[in-house]
Amino acid sequence: MLAIEALSVKKVYRGFFQRTGGQTALAGLDIAIPRGSSFGLIGLNGAGKTTFIKTLLGVVRPTSGAVRVLGGDPEDPGVRARIGYLPERLFLTNAFTPRQFLASVARMKGVRVGESGLRSQIDRVGLGGDADRKIGGFSKGMRQRLGLAAALLGQPELLILDEPTDGVDPIGRAEIRKLLAEERARGTTLFLNSHLLSETERVCDRIGILAAGRLVREGNLLDLCGSDTAYRARFAPGYPEGALVTLGLRPTDIEGAYRVDAPDPAALNAILDAARAAGALLIELHRDLRDLEDVLTDALAAPPPQEAA
Amino acid sequence: MKAALTVAADLLREASSRKWFLALGIGITTALVVLGFALRLEVVDGALAATRLFGKTVNSDIRSVDVALRYVYRGAAYVLFYGGLAFGIVACADFGPSLLAPGRIEHLLSLPVRRYELLLGTFLGVLCLSMIGAVYGAGGFTLIFAIKTGVWTARPIAGALLASVTFAGIYGAMLTAAVALRSAALSAAVGVILFLLGIVAGYRDRLDTFFEAGAAREGFRAVTFVLPRVSALADASADIAASAAVKFDVLVSQVTGLLVFGFAALALGIHLFEQKDF
Repeated sequence: MLAIEALSVKKVYRGFFQRTGGQTALAGLDIAIPRGSSFGLIGLNGAGKTTFIKTLLGVVRPTSGAVRVLGGDPEDPGVRARIGYLPERLFLTNAFTPRQFLASVARMKGVRVGESGLRSQIDRVGLGGDADRKIGGFSKGMRQRLGLAAALLGQPELLILDEPTDGVDPIGRAEIRKLLAEERARGTTLFLNSHLLSETERVCDRIGILAAGRLVREGNLLDLCGSDTAYRARFAPGYPEGALVTLGLRPTDIEGAYRVDAPDPAALNAILDAARAAGALLIELHRDLRDLEDVLTDALAAPPPQEAA
Repeated sequence: MKAALTVAADLLREASSRKWFLALGIGITTALVVLGFALRLEVVDGALAATRLFGKTVNSDIRSVDVALRYVYRGAAYVLFYGGLAFGIVACADFGPSLLAPGRIEHLLSLPVRRYELLLGTFLGVLCLSMIGAVYGAGGFTLIFAIKTGVWTARPIAGALLASVTFAGIYGAMLTAAVALRSAALSAAVGVILFLLGIVAGYRDRLDTFFEAGAAREGFRAVTFVLPRVSALADASADIAASAAVKFDVLVSQVTGLLVFGFAALALGIHLFEQKDF
């Protein structure tokens, strides 16, 4: 079952009197995101991330191609009722209090939520003490939190978050990650667009890299950032440096840390057994994952895929 | 429809915090309070014997109080009609662009509402706002004179509501302009142009004699044909308030024309809104 499916989605922005040319925001985007997954979309400014998010909500209509969300057309209000969305820069009317704003959103979502429900939602995003304060005096981070509370109203099946931690302090980010983890545990599909790659790495299990309106890389975090045959091992001080190098381990910048290449677990264990036999004491072992930033840089440096004829 | 009403209610809440409307509310209230305390009307056997404002005699002609009130209500109706329209055009021009503000419109469109409901809600909210202002101003004014003279009538309120309906017609076009270009200035400009041309259109039968018979006159009549008859409606509003005779069939025709204009403009706005990417 797919939460999001896009087939050859193109979006070209043209002026009112323009019939050809124009600015291409999406250039034939294909993507399939299973339900229950946590998908992070990354890319440079102008790559088409926000445009794609807007096509998922029916806010922007594709020039060609098809988008299906939760098995339906995003222009169907019934489909949108099952989506929670936080825009990149949510405009909030200063005259409202968080309680009034959420009550308004709940009415429009058709969600029956009483006073206590609204308060608990406000508490959940850490704004309990400001529930009856005018939004006009809120900081950017507080506004983001309130936007998140609005997105979470009605227990949506799909959460689409555009830069959810923008302007939020580090403690607040951790709280938001915890909230998102709770939503994921509930079975919610998460679609995240963030410039904070470390944030995306922490929250998402699948990543897509968008460049010039196309998805240039997509897959599990491990697939993109790691390798089935590369590991990183760290030994306690006093390790036999020469012996380890002889065994094929490659030292890194970190004291006592080595890269190990092994085609399968048996080969890995054989290498480690030999290292221990040489006097090395293993204190840490994990897959050798690349930084998401490196993956993004590689993906953007690669030549763009040729458009299908 | 529930979404439209929610948008309308939100607009009223938003308006209540805007300086323009706070100033209007304070202004009307102050005027009513001053009028209530400073105006003295001496009524003897159904006749207005003397009028004193701040203790000074304004008028000492003795005349029937209901006749005297007609002049007052007529004057007030014109002030409320033209003043209300001018104020509404300036103060409400920003509601459309504000609805379409980046970060707000995407959020609203992501909710399970139909696009037309958002625009309809904004229109209804502004209509409601203008009616509240009209009823508060005209109602307060009428109440003060009723208490002071013992002559009770709701006709000035009916006249003020006609001003609200006229404004709604103009606002339909203002909202459409806002949808097309998301500009408060343009929206206000459309309102001002319609307001001025509407005054001309209301007197088109008298004014067309200034044009040479033929293409010029027909052109003038064609242009003014589609416009709301603002000045004619203002006269009707004043006649209603002053309990003067109103040609009902003419009034119905003018109001119908106004509503057709307003709804046609709104329908165009909704059509543009439905097609637009945000």
